[in-house]
Amino acid sequence: MTDDVWYGDDDDAGRLVPLYVLVNGRTTPRNTGLDLATQVIALPADTFTLEPEYTRILDRCGDWISIAEIAAYLDRPLTVTKVLVDILLERRYLAIGQPAQHTIGDRLLLETLLEGLQKL
Amino acid sequence: MRRTSVKVVVAGGFGTGKTTLVGSVSEIPPLTTEEVLTEASVGVDDLDGIETKTSTTVALDFGRITINSDVVLYLFGTPGQDRFWFMWDELAQGAVGAIVLVDTRRLSTSFAAIDFFERRGIPFVAAVNMFYGECPYEEIEIREALKLKPGIPLLWCDARDRASGKAALVTLVEHALAQLPAPV
Repeated sequence: MTDDVWYGDDDDAGRLVPLYVLVNGRTTPRNTGLDLATQVIALPADTFTLEPEYTRILDRCGDWISIAEIAAYLDRPLTVTKVLVDILLERRYLAIGQPAQHTIGDRLLLETLLEGLQKL
Repeated sequence: MRRTSVKVVVAGGFGTGKTTLVGSVSEIPPLTTEEVLTEASVGVDDLDGIETKTSTTVALDFGRITINSDVVLYLFGTPGQDRFWFMWDELAQGAVGAIVLVDTRRLSTSFAAIDFFERRGIPFVAAVNMFYGECPYEEIEIREALKLKPGIPLLWCDARDRASGKAALVTLVEHALAQLPAPV
């Protein structure tokens, strides 16, 4: 197997710490309001001690971004992404926007949405 | 206004053009995210012949439209297979409403979606995707076949066309607004 060379760029093969250790065995987010459309943004913080799995998320959060987008860009299942984001929120590395569930029946928001769509 | 996410669900049977519609109105190329189901949650799957399979992946396509500096609309296409209802629940939770795409050659593939949103009281519109330009049926025939309640908007669209997708979204938001209790 002379051509079996590892170039060191394979995320999973290179993982020293399994994900379930990283998230302390947490299987669902504690913040039950976390939705796949919920947006987050990185807060200024020292990320030096963070595991790469977390810094990769923070790297994506320079501007507001949804959990679904983070999962898609980092190629991680949604649930795993939610748990990682949940932990980053708890540790105040991330700030959170208004979850979609809080917008039901919000007339002003719907009118804003309508106006925005008509302008497209 | 705080940074706010708004969700719209694009539903319909397998092959009705959900991903196409999401792609035509989204400002980014549609993204795909995955949810991995483990053994416990795939109990309803027919695993005959694939007994060694311990997990199933549900792919979810979505796009986004920035409405203004505070509001972003996310469009989520439902997974094609009806059995992934748990995903639908999460998608529908807090959604402004849904566009149910309809293929007139296979009306029945959209029954489940219509039923789902009707039961939960989530505003939705039915959009007949015109695959081949012409629709051989009258609106009244389609309404009848889909058992659409009188107040539910039915429109014709071309999922590939941005203006058409936008019109479906506008109709949906107008419908959702009309469902709200009158302002006091």
